[in-house]
Amino acid sequence: MSLLRSRRARLLVLLSVVGPGIITGNVDNDATGLTGYALAGSQFGYDLLWVLIVTAVCLAPIQEMVARMGTVTGKGLSDLIRERFGVAPTLWVMIFLFIANAATTVAEFAGVGGGAGLLFGPPARYIAIPLAALLVWFLVLRGSFRVVERVLLLLTLIFVGYIVSAILAHPPWGEVLRHAVVPTFHWTPPFILIFISVVGTTITPWMAFFQQSNVADKGLSPGDLKFERVDTFAGIVMLNIVAFFIIVATGATVFAHHVVVDPADPSAFSKIALALKPLAGQYAEQLFAIGLINASLMAASVLPLSTTYAITEAFGFERGIDKSFREAPAFLTIYTTLIVLGAGVAMFPGAPLALITNLPNIVNGMMLPLLLPILMMLANDKRIMGRYINGRFGNIISGAVFLFLSAVTVAFLLSFFLPGLFR
Amino acid sequence: MIFLSDFLNAEVVDLRQHRVGRVRDLVVLMTDPFPKVTGVVLKGNRHIRSVDWSVVRSWDNKELSLKVDEAKLQPHVRLESELWLSRQVLDKQIVDMDGRRVVRVNDLQLSQVEGSLLLVGVDIGARGLARRVGLEGPGRRVAVGLGLDWPQKLISWEAVDPVKSDESSVKLRIAHTKLAKLHPADIADIVNELSPEDRNAVFAALDDEKAADTLEEIDEPQMQASILERLDVERASDILEAMSPDEVADLLADMPRERAQQLLQKMEEDEAEDVEELLAYREDTAGGLMTTQYVAVRHTLTAAEAIDRLRELEPDAESVYYVYVVDEEEHLLGVLSLRDLIVAKPSQPIRDFMIKNVMSVRVDAGPREVAEVTAKYNLLAVPVVDEHNRIQGIVTVDDVMDRVLPPRGGGGRRRRIF
Repeated sequence: MSLLRSRRARLLVLLSVVGPGIITGNVDNDATGLTGYALAGSQFGYDLLWVLIVTAVCLAPIQEMVARMGTVTGKGLSDLIRERFGVAPTLWVMIFLFIANAATTVAEFAGVGGGAGLLFGPPARYIAIPLAALLVWFLVLRGSFRVVERVLLLLTLIFVGYIVSAILAHPPWGEVLRHAVVPTFHWTPPFILIFISVVGTTITPWMAFFQQSNVADKGLSPGDLKFERVDTFAGIVMLNIVAFFIIVATGATVFAHHVVVDPADPSAFSKIALALKPLAGQYAEQLFAIGLINASLMAASVLPLSTTYAITEAFGFERGIDKSFREAPAFLTIYTTLIVLGAGVAMFPGAPLALITNLPNIVNGMMLPLLLPILMMLANDKRIMGRYINGRFGNIISGAVFLFLSAVTVAFLLSFFLPGLFR
Repeated sequence: MIFLSDFLNAEVVDLRQHRVGRVRDLVVLMTDPFPKVTGVVLKGNRHIRSVDWSVVRSWDNKELSLKVDEAKLQPHVRLESELWLSRQVLDKQIVDMDGRRVVRVNDLQLSQVEGSLLLVGVDIGARGLARRVGLEGPGRRVAVGLGLDWPQKLISWEAVDPVKSDESSVKLRIAHTKLAKLHPADIADIVNELSPEDRNAVFAALDDEKAADTLEEIDEPQMQASILERLDVERASDILEAMSPDEVADLLADMPRERAQQLLQKMEEDEAEDVEELLAYREDTAGGLMTTQYVAVRHTLTAAEAIDRLRELEPDAESVYYVYVVDEEEHLLGVLSLRDLIVAKPSQPIRDFMIKNVMSVRVDAGPREVAEVTAKYNLLAVPVVDEHNRIQGIVTVDDVMDRVLPPRGGGGRRRRIF
């Protein structure tokens, strides 16, 4: 019947291409991601490229599980956690989620500040950060959120700049490809730190919550599972391609020219920005700054809101962006707190912005071993998932991912508390 | 006050003070108006079992004593209309009928009435949450210290409607009878917040008319489509028949083609034809906005005959704003209001008193133009005509306003974002 085609078909095709998985994957290329990959590339060249394949393999089963749970149950992840585990465990998960996401929100605002600093000089952040906070707060409560999200997503195409820049820098492709598949590991604290931060920026707890809510909100039914899997994996592949080229671009420029980048150094961002020089020449810093601000704004408008929804959903507080303070006090308090806290900490005078944007990666990386068993228990519960519970293959992969992430976390804790072990 | 959380995990001892296990859950029989506790689920060292509530002698301070020896305990025979409170109600969502919203069950209030323990209320407040993690006492002391009142937020069991959906659907149909009495706009609000399964349970409890009205009130096309997709074809097409054709067209346009076609085939022929006509128009034109439910009468009729004709047609409320006058080939000749028809002499031909200069729009007119015509001439509905001035449908003022006004400005319902 061609009649049905004529009306909304075009719009539908567009919407279905940008599914929850692709959105989640792109939002994950935020300030922390950009900084994490760029630091990896500038400090260790191509040595960490292989980690991307590892993270993709880790991320796939996690995101597939939440996408499936959202599709089958139509509920958010915090809904399911509360209904399955009760109040006390939910409380702990939410406390951890709040801390990790607050840290990430700080990082996003620090990203805005860092970008503004590169464009207009360091003091610009004292104007740019409050402005961004107001903008985000206002945009979301005005309700044009979906439009903003789409526009910012489109702007992430700036990241294509890294692909071009990486190619123009003429890296030794043979070596690049070798590093992409052959693991290299240095048993030194800085390497372990950057290793865990690359893992942590790619695989984050909030992504699980964010994607499941998005899937549930889209009203997909089990019949759409195939589509949703493709969408999820597409998002992960896109995420990792961008990450790959950021590392190659920084490796071929910053690292190759022996520029030493210390994340705690105030000029860290402008050194990282060198990666775009082959593409943008003298405007490399500006291009980097715009990309950083865009990525930060996108995550800053998504993350606090998604966190607030997760928490209010878990505890059954009244929620919704159209509610007044009297109607939904908890919702607006949590949301506003996250933004004020995020912007406030990022504005702290003399705060090392590059370090701040890298810190949440570590927090997130360490939280995952705690969240993954919960996901697995939910996805294996027949009463919740019916016949869509995890298959044996899925459980083996997820179990392996859990072991790997736990090992990474233990390694990090050891390197932190017993640095002598690795010298 | 007694709460379910007081029982959960309480130590259970038998007649000789031997430890039997801990309380895992309470079982209630769904009696009206308040469910009665009929059993208790125990978790022993090795296995979980349920026993009748009648063997409980007393309970206090986290201990439950039984009247019999452990060896003599009989298993509780589970009935169809029983619920396990912790597993099926606690922490789940529930519809608060007075507040007309979906809330989460933080705790359940019980009450001892004439020897039975009844489920009387639902705790939806922060105090219930605090109680569950053992912080109610400290919290209250802080509140008292600050000179504040920390009220319980309880709603009566009579005013809630469980939305549990993983058990038998029979139970649900009984449960949702309360919900079905609400206004469709309120039901739509509630349905908005439920998971797809729970939504369908609600729709199962509504009759076709009410389901159709509720579906029209849900202003998110994707959600409408997903609800219909999960219903079986028969039921879905019955609901569609009860909706206005323009809404049906909008809805079908959002569904996968096969499913839409399937639904159209199941619908009655006249209704399906109306819908198919509408589907042919682009969404952003008068044709896409219009409904084919309008009242048109032949120009040869008298006032009395026209009124008779209206009686036969039994038009819906929203389509009798105006009565259009057409010739044999549906050319639009004039328009009448109901008032005109009623005050005219019964024998007077309608041609003589109809308004001949009818404002109309072409099927390909944009929403702006439709809005302008509607606003300029203060119309409640504007007729839509083809290139030969034959009437095709009408656009009602609410439909055109929905389209022209920015969606957020109307203060209407909004969907959640996550």
